[in-house]
Amino acid sequence: MTTAALTAGLERIPDQLGYLVISEDGVLASAGELENDEHTAGVMMQMVRTACRFRLPGSADPWFKRMSVILEDFAYTVTVSGQKVFVVKRHNNQHEPINV
Amino acid sequence: MGCCYSSDNDNTDQRPEEYKPLIPHPNPVSKPPNGSDWVTPSVPSARTDEQALLTSILTKTAQNIIDVAAAESLLMEPHEYMDKARQYSTKLAVLSNSLPQKKALALPSLTSQPHQVLASDLVPYSDVQQVSKIAAYAYSAISQIKVDAKEELVVQFAIP
Amino acid sequence: MEATLEQHLDDTMKNPAIVGVLCTDQQGHNLGCRGSLSDEHGGVVSVLAKQAAALSRDPTDTPTVCLESESGNILVRTHGTITVAVHKIAS
Repeated sequence: MTTAALTAGLERIPDQLGYLVISEDGVLASAGELENDEHTAGVMMQMVRTACRFRLPGSADPWFKRMSVILEDFAYTVTVSGQKVFVVKRHNNQHEPINV
Repeated sequence: MGCCYSSDNDNTDQRPEEYKPLIPHPNPVSKPPNGSDWVTPSVPSARTDEQALLTSILTKTAQNIIDVAAAESLLMEPHEYMDKARQYSTKLAVLSNSLPQKKALALPSLTSQPHQVLASDLVPYSDVQQVSKIAAYAYSAISQIKVDAKEELVVQFAIP
Repeated sequence: MEATLEQHLDDTMKNPAIVGVLCTDQQGHNLGCRGSLSDEHGGVVSVLAKQAAALSRDPTDTPTVCLESESGNILVRTHGTITVAVHKIAS
């Protein structure tokens, strides 16, 4: 897949506020609120590496297909495919403060 | 504090090989170069306290001094040095060839359809709320462990 | 008391959708765990929570990290000095 084909699919994700496509060598593509966001790219790369070390007994590796980081107003959804890390920042419309 | 990734078993202690010198010492001299053969002057008891004190200071100082002249055997001629450097690099080259290539772990593929996975619904908000509550309760349970300080933790030393 | 935390973990496990729970401190020391989550997960859970905290500019906006699969999710959340992970299976 070319970079253009990869990003065209990301543009169409509902509620997306921006995205990143990262490889071992750095950011391949970025847009919206994540445009040139090296900080987020770095943290996401670290988190993916950490998450991949999370093993569950009796499950094949890797056992999860997506990692999400959910914040008050938005969420990051992250996955890995073909040696590339895809990060999409999405609007979190399930709005309601967390009452503890 | 490192129990991150505590499932990893570092078998460092089982590999004494790594701690062996690459090239064994050609003439293992056990004599430390700080002149432990220093002749400790005998202190005749007849001396005054002041003299005894002075002698003991001298002895102590002598013990802490490294006698460079006595360390002659450690000096190396330039050609010796070059030889040793060559020996080390040959030895290292052999060892590094036998080492497995340690490159960054390749990223595992989590899916073959990234767009679909990324676009699917977010985790239900009720689940996020549930885990926040569990975390909050756990925190309050832990907070009930209180340290009952009986004494000052930081004590000032008396300065005369 | 430690018993309070143990009781809380037991109560959490009474939920049929929850198959594992773990509580760790910021250094990854395990404070208690049940079910599918065990001692070995403490380190990864605390590191993941710490890394996620770098994504939020607002320190009061605590992130929830979720590792998702078809069969179930692991949710990680920090509160104060502790982090919990909950393994919840799809209902």
